[in-house]
This record gives sequence, structure tokens and C-alpha cells, in this order.
Amino acid sequence: MSEIYDIGYRHYEGPRLGRAHAVRALITQNLRSIFGLGRRARSKLMPFLLAASMLLLPVVSIAMMAMLGRNDIGYTNYPVIMQAVIAIFLASQSPTITAPDLRFKVLPLYLSRPVSTLDYVAAKVVAMATALFALVALPLTVMYAGELLVDPPGPPHTKEYVAGLVTALLLALLLSTFGLALASFTPRRGLGVASVIAVYLLASAVSTVLFATFESMGRADVAQWAWLVNPFFLVDSVQSWLFGTTPANGYTYPAGVFSALLLAALLGLSLTAFILRYRKAASR
Amino acid sequence: MNGVVAGITYRAVLGRRRILLLILLPLGLVGLAVLLRLVGSADERSAVTLMQSFAIGTMLPLLGLIAGTGVIAPEIDDGTVLHLLSKPISRPVIAQTKFAVAASLLALFAALPTFVAAWLLVGGESGIATGFTVGALCGGIAYAALFLLLGVVTRHAVTIGIIYALVWEGLIGNFVPGARQFSVQQWARSIADQLSSSPFLATDVKLSFAVPALIVVTVGGVLWAGQRLRAYSLTGDE
Repeated sequence: MSEIYDIGYRHYEGPRLGRAHAVRALITQNLRSIFGLGRRARSKLMPFLLAASMLLLPVVSIAMMAMLGRNDIGYTNYPVIMQAVIAIFLASQSPTITAPDLRFKVLPLYLSRPVSTLDYVAAKVVAMATALFALVALPLTVMYAGELLVDPPGPPHTKEYVAGLVTALLLALLLSTFGLALASFTPRRGLGVASVIAVYLLASAVSTVLFATFESMGRADVAQWAWLVNPFFLVDSVQSWLFGTTPANGYTYPAGVFSALLLAALLGLSLTAFILRYRKAASR
Repeated sequence: MNGVVAGITYRAVLGRRRILLLILLPLGLVGLAVLLRLVGSADERSAVTLMQSFAIGTMLPLLGLIAGTGVIAPEIDDGTVLHLLSKPISRPVIAQTKFAVAASLLALFAALPTFVAAWLLVGGESGIATGFTVGALCGGIAYAALFLLLGVVTRHAVTIGIIYALVWEGLIGNFVPGARQFSVQQWARSIADQLSSSPFLATDVKLSFAVPALIVVTVGGVLWAGQRLRAYSLTGDE
């Protein structure tokens, strides 16, 4: 028979900050570890290097605008152009927030607080989505600020900028749930990185080969579906449906409703997988 | 070579769900080949495109990365490499064994599916199947050595390897011709070009450069990895 004895430790009588505070703390903590803040310089190197390389294109296009007076910045096709960097960022940083707690089996410790599994998972998704959104939105904002400052002939591209921001948000949500769900299947960092990038490369290569094949057969109606295999073009097709922007692939997409449905289905699927994974991890 | 070390390594790389990662890409390649055949566009040009862009361009570096770092990096990461290094086995031999395991995995999961996919598309036509298989095999061996070394040298082996494969070989290699000289997949392509008479296949790197480069990278990578393991500090560098 077991009994809990009060052996005279002092009780905690301070304020109880509660669940919302705990979730906010988890989000901040995850966000900090994605960028390696509070860790060694070596952990900061990769995320900041990738974020800096995202800024190269805006700087170049602002320079072009200032010196040559050209006004053709791509707000709407920016994520598609930079997809390799974004994918590497997602792959290399997702395991930093999924691998350690799974590997050291510390989930019961977190969940003994007033935090549910859902809160815990949501904090990770929000943190990763915020990081990815910042990764894409910051260069877009730099571009827009540059455009307003240089003030080239013609009206500013405010509509394109807003479209770009919304797209960045959609892309961040899709990629973060998808990447985290994939990375959480292994408690090892290296394997997590490899599996996220493997799935991205597979999707992008399959999409390219399928498109080239159907295009060369003259079946452009079938070929346009091939783009949707690649998540970056999927989000771009939703963007061109929502805002009527020019497709970044230079061709056409299937009707936007399907892309939006596919996007929603993918989001739901990866979120479910991610939640189930942590339910399982929490139960042992 | 050490049989026990090889056995443990095979189990570590193929065990549990990890083998799924190695099967995913070859399955994609063979699936695409079947699809191309079904829709009736299985000609020489599409075969060469599929081989170049998918088999050599995507699958080989990625599998090389997964197998090459997978044989040693997880052990270093969680510290169990201590148990291996403290046994009376010469450390260069450990490196050589791990390399042999990675190379054999690449032969099985990269070179073999390459052959199957190419054969499905064009049969034995103009040596495309054999050419790309030998190319994938040689490239795979070089990748195994290169990424094994990377796994021993740094803890961020997978990310650095991805950046090499995607940014250097993929992006920069597309725009800067000089970068292609130092790209394993271009060397693999040169070998494929040598063995195949297909007019759709063109390479920029001469075979007289590619073959010595492959040998230097492979031998150098394995030897250096062995040296690094000999000097590996058991207390870690954290």
C-alpha cells in the first residue's frame, strides 16, 4: 500500500501562470532552438547562413532597380525561385525541435504540467511556421521597402506584396506540418534531415519528369497536374487562383479549387500524423 | 575488413524503419520508369533524361548521403562509437569496413534500380542501361567515401552533404561550368557517356579527369576517415 507523505517541504505559493503561458513559453523555446539562439555558435551558423542567402535576391533586385531603373521584382514567384534554400532550411531545422525530446524521452515531464499533447504539438507547428514565414516574408518586406525607397516609375506593387505574404503564410503552414511530421518519425537528427530532404527531392523530381513526359506527348491538360506534386508549385497554384498572379512555372495550373483542396488535405493529413506520433510517444 | 563490425553496421542502417528511407527513392525511380512505359513514351531520350535528372542527379547523391553518413554518424552522435573504438580493432580497418558497407548498400539500392529502370525503358539499347549502372556504381562508391569522411569530421554531416549535393552540384553546377569539374555526379555521367553510344547524352567532364578524380576521392576519403578515427578523442569535442 502506497501513500503520499507530507514530509515538510515548503509549498509553492507563487502565481500559477497556467496553460496559455506554458504554451507561449514552449513556442518561444522552439523558435529559439530553430535559430540556435542560446546555443553554441555552430548551431547558429546553418539557420542564419540560409536566412542570409534568402536575402541575396532582394538585394540584387533592389540594386538593379536603383541603377538600371528596372521594375520587375518577383514578389509572387520568390518562394518558387528559392525553393532549394527553403527546403534545406526546413530539413536541417525541423529535427532540432523534434529529435531531442523524442530521443531523451522527456515527454512525460512536459505533459505533467498543465500542457496537453495537442498544446505541445501546436507549439512546435506554430514555432516552425513562424520561422519559415519569417524566412520568406523578411526578404519580401526588404524588397518592398526597397521599392518604396527607390520609387521606380509606375505604381508600387502593393497587391503583389500582399499576395506574396499570404502565400508565404500558406507555404509556411504546409511545409512546417509536413516537415515536422516527417522528421518526428525518427529520434535521430541526421535521419530526420535526410528523410525530409529525400521526400522533397523525390516530389520535385517526380513532378519535373512527369511534366516533361506529358508535355512532350502533347498532353498539356494532363501535364499541368504534374506541378501539384511539388509543394512549392502547389502553393503557387493556390496563389494564382486566389490573387490572379502569373504562374511561377510559366505554364498553367489546373483549376485552383483542386489545388486548394489538395493543400487542405495535405495539411490535415500531416497534422494528424504529427499529433498521432506524439500521442504514441507520450503514452510510453 | 571486420565481419562483426560490418554486421552491426548493416543492422544499424537497415534496421527498423530506416530501410524505408533507402527504398523510397529507388521505388520512385522504378515507378516512374513503369509509368513512362505505360503511357508509351519509353524512348531513348526520356530514358536518358530520367537517368540524368533522377537516377544520377537526385537519387545517387541522396542515397550516398544517407548510406555514407548513416554507417557512422548516428553512432558518433549518440556516443556509442566509444564502445566500437575501444575494442582492439585498428581504426582504419573500422573506417574501411564502414565504407565497404556503405558502398555495397549503394550498389544494391542505387546501381541496381538504375539498371532495372533503364532496362524497363529501353532494354539494352545503345548501352544506356549498362552505362548508367556502371556510372551509378562508381559515383556511389565515391559518394560513400566522401560522405563517410564528412560523417567523421562534422556533426552536421547531413546538412553539409545536402548543401554540397543540392547547391554546389545542382544549382552552381548548372550555371558555372567550372563547378562541374568537381562534382561526383558529373564524373558518374562521364563514365555513363563512355559506355553508352546514345546521342542524347553529353558530358562536360573528360573521362581522363573523371576516373582519376573518382579514385582520388574514394581512396583519399577512406584513408582520411581512418586517420580522423585514429585521432578521435574519446572524451568528445563538446
